Amino acid sequence: MTAPILRIENLSKRYGQREVLKGVSLEVDKGDLKILIGPSGAGKSTFLHCINYLVKPDEGRVWLHDREIHPERKRELYAYRQKVGMIFQDFNLFDHINAFENVRIGLVKVKGIGKEEAGERARLELERVGLKEHIHKYPAQLSGGQKQRVSIARALAMDPEVMLLDEPTSALDPELIGEVHAVIRDLGNNGMTMIMATHQIGFASSLASEIIFMENGLIVERGTPDKIFNDAEHSRTREFCSKITDLYGER
Amino acid sequence: MPESLIAIIDALPYLLQGSLVTIAVVAGALSFGLLVGVPLAIGQVYGGGLLRRFVGVYVWFFRGIPLLVFLFLFYFGLCTALGINLSAFTVAIIVLGLISSAYQSQIIRGAIQSLPEGQLKAARALGMSDLKAISFIIVPQALRLSIPGFSNEYSILLKDSAVTYALGVAEIMARAHFVATRTYQHFPLYFAAGIIFMILTWLGVKGLRLLEDKVRIPGYSHN
Repeated sequence: MTAPILRIENLSKRYGQREVLKGVSLEVDKGDLKILIGPSGAGKSTFLHCINYLVKPDEGRVWLHDREIHPERKRELYAYRQKVGMIFQDFNLFDHINAFENVRIGLVKVKGIGKEEAGERARLELERVGLKEHIHKYPAQLSGGQKQRVSIARALAMDPEVMLLDEPTSALDPELIGEVHAVIRDLGNNGMTMIMATHQIGFASSLASEIIFMENGLIVERGTPDKIFNDAEHSRTREFCSKITDLYGER
Repeated sequence: MPESLIAIIDALPYLLQGSLVTIAVVAGALSFGLLVGVPLAIGQVYGGGLLRRFVGVYVWFFRGIPLLVFLFLFYFGLCTALGINLSAFTVAIIVLGLISSAYQSQIIRGAIQSLPEGQLKAARALGMSDLKAISFIIVPQALRLSIPGFSNEYSILLKDSAVTYALGVAEIMARAHFVATRTYQHFPLYFAAGIIFMILTWLGVKGLRLLEDKVRIPGYSHN
């Protein structure tokens, strides 16, 4: 095996007295799809945010391709973040510009690509997520599912090597989840490396290379979907999985 | 025709010339205030402890001194003490601009703080530096949200500018006063001055309202 794309070692984060993340480590190989599950407050979201230093971890180190990230070196940090796309639960599209400009702005302002060339790319990415007809709409004119697809296009335009997805469908109406899942599935089939937090067990088990169950800021158990969902070692894992299967339907 | 009406009509061209001076002072001060107010607001929201404290003191200072005191302090005090020769017109713009920057900074700060936190996060996640994220994502949205506040600031500043007559700036009030004391037509002259100020207020507020509609983000509506 070659070196992992992303190596995360011992990330910890506390807010005041509350330890949200208690030393979580993870190695991600190219093409992996790691799925984080666990109750809210388990630290999944904080973990994802610490990986690209949107939240500053108190401790821990991160390597991209064997290169350690030093977040205090701003230039390196900005370059690293371009390589690690982030998808948020509540989309976070830039509200004052349309879908097209949302996807283009990173290319123009961060990568310094000319407006025309960047525009071509933006159009391509929006087409890829099925939004050709909607490129001139503003975020407030799009449905939740469309917004999330724009945000995926925005991240993809930067040519990331890894994508972090923080519950990408949990703010969506049930009938809109499918369109976003289809895009993510497509990404996975094309070999994109991803770490995703989700409660969508069915989707997770059909796609994941590994399921990671987190609780109280720690990884409790990890394994193949089959193992975690059908043959988990820890009672807490089994309990959580059965509860969430009840909630989110058959797998 | 009644004498008072004749007095107004006679003085009108002279007063209207004064309104140009008023407009110049207000436009200058508002622009100055905006140019300084934006960085102040950014500093107060995103800056470190020291910068935040500096902005706090700045705002306190310029909101705390009465306009007339500050005008005299600057024009008769500071300019004389430092031996700089500035026209009353220039001083009026600087002083009103400094005061306005303090007020505008708070309008803009409110707007910035009302934006969802995710806007900055998403910009950072794309690899933008904080400076880029603030310039391209935060400020354009905050300025839109500030327009109703600017409308307030404009109306107040416009009327405050009448105080600069005390330095001898030849704006509306100074001219009305000049003609009134010469012709003894106090009521019609000050009445006319008041009306001109009201019209200017209406025009400015209307203009800002049009601007607000023009830059409104599609999809956002309260109708």
